[in-house]
Amino acid sequence: MIELREAKKWFRSGGEKVPVLRGVNLRVEQGEYVAIMGKSGSGKSTLLNLLGTLDTLDGGEYELAGKAVHKMSKRKRAALRNKEIGFVFQHFHLIPNLSVYHNVMLPLTYSKRRWSKKRERVMDLLEQVGLAHKKRQKPSRLSGGEKQRVAIARALVNEPGLILADEPTGSLDEETTESVLHLLDRVHKDGATILVITHDMEVAKRAERILFLKNGVLEEWSDEAAYRV
Amino acid sequence: MKLLTGFKLAWFGLWSNRFRVLFAMMGVVIGMFAVIVLSAIAIGVKDTMMKQMGGLGAEQILVIPGRVLDTTSGQKDLLSGLTSVPSTLTYEDAKAVEEVENVRSVTPQLETVSFVQWGEGEGTQRLQAAVVGSTDQYARVQHAELAEGRFFTKEEQEKKAKVIVLGSNIHDGLLGKEQVPEESRDGGTPEAEPKPWWQRLLGTVTGQASAEEKAESLVGKDVMIGETSYRVIGVLAPNATLGSSTDNNVVMPIETALVQTDMKNLTKMVVEAESTAVIDQVDVDVFSAIKENHQEIDFSVVKQDQMLEALDRVTSILQVMLAGITLTALVISGTGIMNVMVMSVRERTREIGIRKALGATTFEVMVQFFFETVLLCLLGGVIGLGLGYAFVEVWNANVSIFSLVLPMWAVKLALYSSVVVGTLFGIYPALKAARMNPSKALRFE
Ligand SMILES: Nc1ncnc2c1ncn2[C@@H]1O[C@H](COP(=O)(O)OP(=O)(O)OP(=O)(O)O)[C@@H](O)[C@H]1O
Ligand SMILES: [Mg+2]
Repeated sequence: MIELREAKKWFRSGGEKVPVLRGVNLRVEQGEYVAIMGKSGSGKSTLLNLLGTLDTLDGGEYELAGKAVHKMSKRKRAALRNKEIGFVFQHFHLIPNLSVYHNVMLPLTYSKRRWSKKRERVMDLLEQVGLAHKKRQKPSRLSGGEKQRVAIARALVNEPGLILADEPTGSLDEETTESVLHLLDRVHKDGATILVITHDMEVAKRAERILFLKNGVLEEWSDEAAYRV
Repeated sequence: MKLLTGFKLAWFGLWSNRFRVLFAMMGVVIGMFAVIVLSAIAIGVKDTMMKQMGGLGAEQILVIPGRVLDTTSGQKDLLSGLTSVPSTLTYEDAKAVEEVENVRSVTPQLETVSFVQWGEGEGTQRLQAAVVGSTDQYARVQHAELAEGRFFTKEEQEKKAKVIVLGSNIHDGLLGKEQVPEESRDGGTPEAEPKPWWQRLLGTVTGQASAEEKAESLVGKDVMIGETSYRVIGVLAPNATLGSSTDNNVVMPIETALVQTDMKNLTKMVVEAESTAVIDQVDVDVFSAIKENHQEIDFSVVKQDQMLEALDRVTSILQVMLAGITLTALVISGTGIMNVMVMSVRERTREIGIRKALGATTFEVMVQFFFETVLLCLLGGVIGLGLGYAFVEVWNANVSIFSLVLPMWAVKLALYSSVVVGTLFGIYPALKAARMNPSKALRFE
């Protein structure tokens, strides 16, 4: 599903190149559930943005679902993103002026696929996350847990093969965290590949595999690494 | 992406930012309103002038004091070429013109300003009027109609009878009625007792419109002009046209005027030819007939087509001015809109990042913001147009000096230009939005 080889990324800071990813290698199979941990500022979000095709590599290669992303045009990447990837962010990133319903509808709006029953599809997903009755509400009137459930419904609406979640429970309390994790478990069971970034060991434990980002490279999980978290 | 989707997204974007949108639109609304009203005024004035010039029939020739210079192209330059000299045209000139072959009538006019007075003691009304000396043809040439009484006859003119016909404002003024402002004349009710509009409407509907206001008339009464007393024989109907209204005139026979006042020289003379076929010859003959009495050419003979030419030039100047105003209004409102849209794009950076994360292409984001601007301008244009239209309607219903004309082309121009403004000033904000890097946009606080 995901194949990242010697991925490099640096940012410019006051004319100086600051490397964030120094050669990341990552392979994730279809249907896997992977967690990535690491210190703040270690480049986890940077890595996730690269995997989500929101940013481009400064070196190395990236293949997603058999396609060479590092060679793709902007337009192709947008289409791939729309079709294959669903995002869940720590701060939900719902569009404040749109209702719950229209937020979930957005990926379908940009889809190249011909969806026959968009309305039904959106309502079905809202049903699944238990928020069908709030479809007309604006995001500002929802609780954090509800917002994240809407964001998950939005991430799923295009039936993507890959879910990328950047600290999805980072803004939630224990109880709502559990409901969000439960939703992700279900998505995983339905066959989606899931990649979660988290600081929370309880969250990471739900994954089948835990990786650790340090000094710009990914390491397999070890007790020594666990100690440092 | 289908264009319709782009439009839907744009509409959504506008609707969810509707308060800011309303504010941004004010510029376009006001600009468009100004343009619509100004063009309606310009065209209204032109139409009114056309009608008056048209009042100078194709078979009529105007003789005016002063020499109209010829332009380089050999045409008479009525706008700038008129040397302003005191009139040297005389009643004798008019008599001479009457002798010219194929001339049907000559209507000379003398004009001065003088005080008119009626009544004695406390109730004396004294006001300034334009005193005009002319012939029995005056009413016909000026397109003035009689409200009461009659006009003076050729016999009275020859007898130098002291008779006068009053313009409507002078008549009302001498009767001590408040000068009725032009605006409310249509209502038919003088100001004396202002009624709310609904009562006036009711009055009109039930037909009991102001019977008690049937005013007394001055016809048959004697009125003083300077030291001399004149008999009022008629009153002219309100003649509300721009420029040459007869409302403030007092008309007397020209022979009387020459004897009783110190007026000597004609302000103008309207010559009527037998037909349009002979107009060119009459034009030449009238010129030579008057020239015989003058040492130098200090008068001008103008035909209708020359007047229309001059009018055309006035109109083109108006049009150039209008185009300038329109352009200015559009640029100002356009930059205003662009400012607001750039601000909006900045504020919605995160939204743009989200849309891109969900699969919106650069082009789709561009189209959305571009259509937002175009729609915004079009909406503002339509509202401004509506307000302008309402203004024209209200004006025409209440003001009778001249009527405003809102032609279809002005409406189309307004709408097209608001779309053009939206297009021009929408490109930059749209590009700014579309070019955003999604990962950076999502980080934006
Ligand atoms: N667009 C950018 N321009 C400059 N520097 C950037 C940019 N994006 C990220 N960085 C830098 O790259 C480093 C990694 O950032 P990143 O957001 O990936 O960290 P993170 O592991 O997600 O941290 P956190 O756990 O706090 O979310 C940081 O030092 C950050 O300042
Ligand atoms: Mg992060």
